[in-house]
Amino acid sequence: MPQTPVQMHRIGKKKNRFRGAGFFLKTGMLIFFLGAPFLFPSFKLVDLVMNIIIFSVLVASFDILLGYTGILSFAHGMFFGIGAYCVALLMGPYGGPSYVHLALGLLLAVVTASALAVVISFLSLRVKAIFFAMVTLAIAELAIVLATKLSAFTGGEDGISLNMPGIFAVSHRVGDFLGTQIGGRVFTYYLILFGSLILFSLMIRFTHSPLGRVLQGIRDNTQRAEALGYKTFIFQVVSILFGCVVAAVAGGFYAMWVGYVNPESCLGVMTIMLDVLLMVIIGGMGTLYGAVVGAGLLKTAQTFLPDLQHLAKTVFPNAAFIHQFLERWLLLFGVLFILVVILFPKGIIGSMRGYMARRT
Amino acid sequence: MKDQNERGIEVTGAGAALKRKSGAVSFAAAVALFILPLLWIPGKIYLTLTIAGLAMGMLVFLIASGLSIIFGLMDVLNFAHGALFAWGAYTGFSVFKLMRAWVGADSVLKNVGVFSMAAAAALLAVSVLGMLLERGLIRRVYGSHLFQILITFGGMVVLVELIRVFWGPNDEVIVQPLTFRGSWDMHGVIVERYRVLCIMIGVVVYTMIRIVLKKTKLGMIVRAGVENREMVQAMGHNIFRIFTGVFAAGAALAALGGVAMSVFDRQVYPDMGGTYLLFAFIVVIIGGLGSITGSLLGALIVGLAYNYVAYLVPWAAAAVNVLIMIIILLIRPTGLFPAGR
Repeated sequence: MPQTPVQMHRIGKKKNRFRGAGFFLKTGMLIFFLGAPFLFPSFKLVDLVMNIIIFSVLVASFDILLGYTGILSFAHGMFFGIGAYCVALLMGPYGGPSYVHLALGLLLAVVTASALAVVISFLSLRVKAIFFAMVTLAIAELAIVLATKLSAFTGGEDGISLNMPGIFAVSHRVGDFLGTQIGGRVFTYYLILFGSLILFSLMIRFTHSPLGRVLQGIRDNTQRAEALGYKTFIFQVVSILFGCVVAAVAGGFYAMWVGYVNPESCLGVMTIMLDVLLMVIIGGMGTLYGAVVGAGLLKTAQTFLPDLQHLAKTVFPNAAFIHQFLERWLLLFGVLFILVVILFPKGIIGSMRGYMARRT
Repeated sequence: MKDQNERGIEVTGAGAALKRKSGAVSFAAAVALFILPLLWIPGKIYLTLTIAGLAMGMLVFLIASGLSIIFGLMDVLNFAHGALFAWGAYTGFSVFKLMRAWVGADSVLKNVGVFSMAAAAALLAVSVLGMLLERGLIRRVYGSHLFQILITFGGMVVLVELIRVFWGPNDEVIVQPLTFRGSWDMHGVIVERYRVLCIMIGVVVYTMIRIVLKKTKLGMIVRAGVENREMVQAMGHNIFRIFTGVFAAGAALAALGGVAMSVFDRQVYPDMGGTYLLFAFIVVIIGGLGSITGSLLGALIVGLAYNYVAYLVPWAAAAVNVLIMIIILLIRPTGLFPAGR
């Protein structure tokens, strides 16, 4: 049997795929997410884990654009918001809490997001990739203005509340199991978890497909990819389309879990977008799993910051400087962001992979 | 780096003719846009709105021109430009607060004095800040657009948060100098005094930039750097020192814009940079990244369109500029005046 070095390498990799740290870490993570509702008695922690899962999907979809295609979009938060609003509108004022409306809402999110993604990429990618950052920022800000001003349609600043249908409703109760109340919240958790797992696997499949490899080629050297005969523009559009659709579905999940959407929490460039950027940079661009690490670290930090502030106030009641400093936590994150970009441009996962590769 | 080739193309013969023709087309389009609102707006209000739009356009030009020069020469898209603008506004605010007596004085000399002092302080402080930003952060990531955007975005977050630390997170009111307040009534056309001043500042700054770029040796080096960076280096000029200088100058323009705009709006707030950075982005996309005349024209279009639409359909004011940007991207993706001027 003739074997090229590439084939040998692939066979070796396939043999060892159930060994090594990566496999155990991934399995551990999966078990943790599956067991979270039973591990943590308090709702606050389950809410944190759910947020981490949803943001992992969002950040990974952003990573497809940034890390795998080399395109920076400031409208990714907008697509997240569009997904959230589509679900909320169909489950709230323009429909009701039913399974059909839930499915329709997610479908509407996918359709709207893909149409908009194609339009934006056709507008801005024709010139230079650098235009994309500016055009998307302008469009994202416009989306916030529209969501706020067209209050008859979107509820304006007040936002929209929605209820989940049938067994997913908050009021739905089944009974106790292992000390945890089984009800609508737990069912919603598992629904979103499985949805997120499907999306994440899709993204891994996407990046490992021949298409994904071409995208990485375009990212590393656009001219060479063009010279090899790839229509880089089409590939970039496909990548943006895929990333934005996944972001929109993640937004739909967010609306399903939180049960409330408003412009600030779903569309904001300085809220959602900044978080996503931080997560992807800290976790590591072009790794997908970095999204989980980044989302985990940042969401945990944000959840426990108020506690930390409270602690600081009780331990050092007179140190006004520390209080002020903790109140301006965004400053801390901004400095961290710059340091990571300068010192560890590959992020946590990327740096770790580099370290492992050097060791063996 | 690959943009360099596109920019290096010489404009001769057929190219120049094409350029003249497209210039005429964009001029006609601009005039049409300028006249069109007269269909719905009464003449006298139209004139008032036009002056307001020109004033706003000139202020936006101050930010956009810095952004455009920095991109043209250094190939850096500076997301921290809005934060520098806000720093300028807040420095000016501090000077206004310090010199409260002069602000309220009924003397043109004292009022102009306090305004110039605020402007000078802002220029000085922000150009130093710009230098630090360029030396400390941007220099590390030359050549990679992606990392430039990321690092300047991080710089923006930090600078805006520092404003909150130093000046507090709330909106602050700026009192306009006494003689700047009020307006002239010219046969029913209301002309606010300060708006006229803004237009004058804009014209003066534009003329100065043109003179520096066209008539001085430094300007020649900068223009040459826009065309071909490597060649300028080969001629023995330290391009990195020029980069720092140009970045500081761009930051100073943003600071001047910040001071003028905060007095225009009568307020300062930490996030003000983001709002106007967006205007600046739209302007440079419309005008063409790297072109000063393009920035001026783009800024005036944005300022006028914003004011006309704000009068006709208030909620659509923010949308109209994005719409214009989209139209320009569709018909002339490189902007009205492609780079190099």
